[in-house]
Amino acid sequence: MSRLVPVITADREEVRNQPLDGLCAGLGAQELMAECAALDAFRSRSENLYERVRALFFLYSIHRFHLPFREGVRAEGRIPFRGYLHLLERRFEEAIGEFLAAQQEQGPNAALSSALAAAYRGLGFQTLADQVRRSVRSTRGNQWMFRTGHPFDDPLRIRRELLVADPQTGLRPVLREATPVRMDFSHSAWSDIFFLGMDYPEGARVFNTSINLAVRGTGEPRPPVEASFRVIDAPVLRLVSVDLGAEAEIHDTAEVFDFARDYLGLLKAAVIAAGLVPPGMEGSGLDLSGLLERLTGSRGLGIELVSRVNDIPKGSRLAVSTSLLACLITVCMRATGQIRALTGGLEEMERRTVAARAILGEWLGGSGGGWQDSGGVWPGMKLIEGVRAQEGDVEFGVSRGCLLPRHTVFSQEEITAETRRKLQQSLVLVHGGMAQDVGPVLEMVTEKYLLRLGAEWKARLEAGAILDEIIACLRRGDIRGVGACTQRNFEGPIQTIIPWAGNHYTDLLIERARRAFGEAYWGFWMLGGMAGGGMGFLLAPEAAGQGRDRLGEILLATKRELERGVPFAMDPVVYEFSINENGTWAELLSGADALMPPGYYTLRAPALLRREARLLSPGERRELEAFAAACRSRESWAGMAHALFERLLPGTDAGAAANRRALEELLAANGFDPVQHEKIRADLRSGRIGLAQNRLPVTARIEDAREEDATDARRGLPERLRRLGEEALAGGALAIVTLAGGMGTRWTRGAGVVKALNPFVKMRGRWRNFVEIHLAKSRKCMRHSGAGPVHIFTTSFMTHAPMEQWLRRENNYGYEGPVALSSGRSIGLRLVPMARDLHFAWEEMPQQVLDEQKQKVRESARAALIQWARSMGEGSDYTDNVPAQCVHPVGHWYEVPNLLLNGVLARLLEERPGLRYLLLHNIDTLGAWADPALLGLHIDSGAAMTCEVIAREMEDRGGGLARVDGRLRLVEGLALPDERLEFELSYYNTNTMWISIDALLDVFGLARADLADEAKTREAVRRVAARMPAYVTLKDVKKRWGKGQEDIFPVSQYEKIWGDMTALPEWRCAYVVVERRRGQQLKEVAQLDGWLREGTAAWVETLCDF
Amino acid sequence: MRVKKCVLTAAAPSQRRLPLQVLVDRDGEERSVLAILLEEAARAGMEEIAVVVHPGDEEEYAAVAGEHAARVRFLPQPEPRGYAHALWCAREFASGEPFLHMVGDHLYVSRDGAGCAARLVAVAQQEKCSVSAVQATREGQLTQFGAVGGQRVHGREGLYRIDAVLEKPTPTEAEQKLFVPGLRAGHYLCFFGMHVFTPLVMELLGEAVSAGGRSVTDALALLAQKERYLALEMTDRRYDLGARYGLLHAQLALALAGTDRAEILAGLVELLALQPAQAGGRG
Repeated sequence: MSRLVPVITADREEVRNQPLDGLCAGLGAQELMAECAALDAFRSRSENLYERVRALFFLYSIHRFHLPFREGVRAEGRIPFRGYLHLLERRFEEAIGEFLAAQQEQGPNAALSSALAAAYRGLGFQTLADQVRRSVRSTRGNQWMFRTGHPFDDPLRIRRELLVADPQTGLRPVLREATPVRMDFSHSAWSDIFFLGMDYPEGARVFNTSINLAVRGTGEPRPPVEASFRVIDAPVLRLVSVDLGAEAEIHDTAEVFDFARDYLGLLKAAVIAAGLVPPGMEGSGLDLSGLLERLTGSRGLGIELVSRVNDIPKGSRLAVSTSLLACLITVCMRATGQIRALTGGLEEMERRTVAARAILGEWLGGSGGGWQDSGGVWPGMKLIEGVRAQEGDVEFGVSRGCLLPRHTVFSQEEITAETRRKLQQSLVLVHGGMAQDVGPVLEMVTEKYLLRLGAEWKARLEAGAILDEIIACLRRGDIRGVGACTQRNFEGPIQTIIPWAGNHYTDLLIERARRAFGEAYWGFWMLGGMAGGGMGFLLAPEAAGQGRDRLGEILLATKRELERGVPFAMDPVVYEFSINENGTWAELLSGADALMPPGYYTLRAPALLRREARLLSPGERRELEAFAAACRSRESWAGMAHALFERLLPGTDAGAAANRRALEELLAANGFDPVQHEKIRADLRSGRIGLAQNRLPVTARIEDAREEDATDARRGLPERLRRLGEEALAGGALAIVTLAGGMGTRWTRGAGVVKALNPFVKMRGRWRNFVEIHLAKSRKCMRHSGAGPVHIFTTSFMTHAPMEQWLRRENNYGYEGPVALSSGRSIGLRLVPMARDLHFAWEEMPQQVLDEQKQKVRESARAALIQWARSMGEGSDYTDNVPAQCVHPVGHWYEVPNLLLNGVLARLLEERPGLRYLLLHNIDTLGAWADPALLGLHIDSGAAMTCEVIAREMEDRGGGLARVDGRLRLVEGLALPDERLEFELSYYNTNTMWISIDALLDVFGLARADLADEAKTREAVRRVAARMPAYVTLKDVKKRWGKGQEDIFPVSQYEKIWGDMTALPEWRCAYVVVERRRGQQLKEVAQLDGWLREGTAAWVETLCDF
Repeated sequence: MRVKKCVLTAAAPSQRRLPLQVLVDRDGEERSVLAILLEEAARAGMEEIAVVVHPGDEEEYAAVAGEHAARVRFLPQPEPRGYAHALWCAREFASGEPFLHMVGDHLYVSRDGAGCAARLVAVAQQEKCSVSAVQATREGQLTQFGAVGGQRVHGREGLYRIDAVLEKPTPTEAEQKLFVPGLRAGHYLCFFGMHVFTPLVMELLGEAVSAGGRSVTDALALLAQKERYLALEMTDRRYDLGARYGLLHAQLALALAGTDRAEILAGLVELLALQPAQAGGRG
């Protein structure tokens, strides 16, 4: 009899809301396996969506956090490759089937549990996403669009008022919609996530206000987003984004559905979601002229839709993009009569329709916001609440809550004008400048709520109570009280649920604001999903005026201090804002006023001006005349002529020239080898090297390691070895080498900050970065053995200077032992990738397929990127970015020889002749520490190098320990001729290695004394390097532009990898299997939550002495 | 309730020539559209018929009224103030009695030849309330018609209790407000151009007209709230003569439903055969 299934089906709240962790605490492996079987059967038979989803998350959680840690469950297991392929293709049911069959055969083990956990979690999220998609499609008012597949069926017509040109000016009117954005006072701890609102509508509550905005010093606040609609004299759909400087004239339906082809994806999603080009027409292959004729009632007419964001940077946490989407949808719906009033505000029913359409648009565009994100469509302050599904609702019987929430707008009697004024005075709204991805946070929250984790569930209820308190404060006009509530909300429930919602930067800001304003500091206000971007500070009104400038200074200074370790997209800004009491609002501009926004003309007019006047159509002529008249007569248009000239005759780009110079200097200073670079380019272009060529020949025989190939240290090593190690430590025989030259591309998705310095976790009440944690482990070692190991951080051109400054500033975090930096001596220049390699990476390698709509968007983006590579010139130098993003370290193989080349090792050996061993590990292997027993094992074995491996789990991709043609070695994932081979390998390479220094010198053909001879050392390194394979890899780099906008480009680079040393026949290696927590690497921010929950973070903390 | 009066509206500036057009009817005889409509009313038992016309059109209309001319009275609409006002011009004629209303720019072809109006009047007399003839129409054509939403009347085939009326709704609004159980997805009950109204309708029209309203639909939406108001689903055909090729379609429908069917079909086949073969475009 299952104990867990009844928890899911229980009616009583106190039973249903029991935390899973508590329920599993007393169960052994056998009992957990029985529960898994019961849950799996239950989730297959249950008709209720949320019962199914909860069962799936229970299964995920048991396999991820409980079963692998039970007595009797082995670490090793074989994950079937077919199951893995199913998982990549999102065929979760089939994947689960494969994994369960393997479990039946192999017995429970951690490897299979990791695979099952991934599959159950994936299925859980897919089930939820499918439900949202179904609900969006079946919402009344949206259904018809999915049925309309041909222009003859299209029931929409453009309103007459928009078709008639003004007799005097000859211009057709412009319909202009302006929409405020929403600012959440509280979202009751992310309760606005669709899934959560539909699971637990009672808890889904958001209080927000619609606001106008302006960056401080740029004028009065106004609605941040605007859309303009008009009928034009050409049978095309013309889309223009003024702020992104993008335009397109679209002739066929296929292009409308091609979202990532250009920067106009949001406009396209709006055109579709508004029903202008109904989603039912996707894939019809029709051109647009027939549809436009049907819509406008005349052959030869078309539609123009123009969007503008009024200087608000991305990442404001104010749902600017959803508001723009809603704004665009509204203007299109007005133009087609789907909204009754052509001008002014909306009726409640219409606002709800717009919100539903915005959700549809978000889904089409492959993004996803909260259900309150269209809040700006509504006026003023409102409470938005989840609604229980009733009979008649499309969600009834499927989920507990409806897709769309209920909005209750607060009147001026409930929250007075005076209170609103006081709020505007006290609240300082800012953009902190950080670049962030909220996606993982939303997934973590969903998971935790569905599992009803104890502390998190309690915090969620507390967040709900704080929301009530905020409303009560506003009712009685107590703004200071509001500040106290938002501060408490951030410090309490928000960070209890997701510690990663806060960060070191924000904590510093709060601390400094508190200090700067003293009593006048009323509270911090987190906006949106996490802190660091859009945020608020509440100050006493008398302090707030000057406080805005003061806060701006604090933000900028703090950003400057942290920017090498924390990813920022831009410099911080302070806003001015006002409450918008209208919601979305439209006006009809006609006659001489029928103008598009000013920036539109700088974008469009140059092409017209370059043409001969006699070749202009009457419509184009009229348009230019109207623009010229506006420039002459309107004050606000005064600068336009100048802007137009700039665009027509662009001056030399001083920034680009400076960038080029800086890049050249950077390359020269870091030993760039142009000869080798040209050789690599030629090899890449001719196809001698490339992604496909990284692989070992298919004839290579690759087998799994045998049991006797590696010592198993997981159950402890003999006391003798520990003593041997301790003696060596006490004698100062060990140096720790932490590899910190890499960019940590996956950690910040190519943001170009120093991963080693990224303060990512709170330990002992403070945010700590990787360097600090590694040094704290060395300090603990020192306390224990009496002598601290030398701690060396290897650096690269990008990380060296910031690391040096940081360590000096922090005084080596108080580590009393010697700390050295080993600076990189190699640098590469990135290349525009070969289309061949992009095809290989995206089409031939097994890929994680995304959710249906996201996948479409990704494919469209990839097609555009391949086009980009071709147009830039495949294999040409990648220089179109800031210098640091154009160059790359050439792999960690070089980081060990660098110790020889840069004199660090020679100096250390001179100072400490007793130094004999190195412990080499990656910056993100936080569990690696100078374990004396492992050191003893290495010394005792007499090997040149002892490599630590762990039992492979699902996430461990990238090769492992194998016998290649009978010889035991570490093999890179890139080098495996067939993907499935990796799944045959039981052990994964942690890249943590114990190295004997004299053996190392020996393999390079050097003696200790030779290190002083630079030429000899250089020659020795070159000789060994030539024996190491160079792998071509693709990396994502970010290019920043505009107001916090970011593009990601794939670039080619090459690298050599230290693990390949194990292939040298004269270099004797030993292997040791260590515990997972010791070898685990933190590659992505999304891993953090699991790392914390499974207890590894706490264990790492015990290794440290801060 | 007995219905014996009929009001025909034909005063709209864009429609006033349509009733004067001559078509060949089912029996192969040439008749004006007006005469065909009057015949439809007469077969439904209408004793008195008022035709609301543009001032000055009376004489021309009288000339083509045919055999029922004697029952017809012409009511001029003094100025073009919309459909609601045109109908309201017949208030004194209706004088507090229920009446049949047809629009002058539609032509009706019943399947069984019994007459659409006759069926509608019979139902209204039996149910003792306002009844509008409606037809299930694809959402692609919503831009042309008023549409209703409502519930089926238990045990009565094709009869609905109306609870919402919208004039030319967008599909978005139709989906949200016009629920009709049992109707195919994407179909709505749209007006057939033929109604039986109780005296309350004239009162509501009066209010609408004095508030500057032009459409009858607003008054009907109010009617649905104040009185039992039914919709009768017709399976017969109606033709909007004002639409593009509307007269041609109506003529073809009449001819193909009547004695000259074979002759017309032969003519059509010949036309098709003469037409140069064209690659069928999409659509």
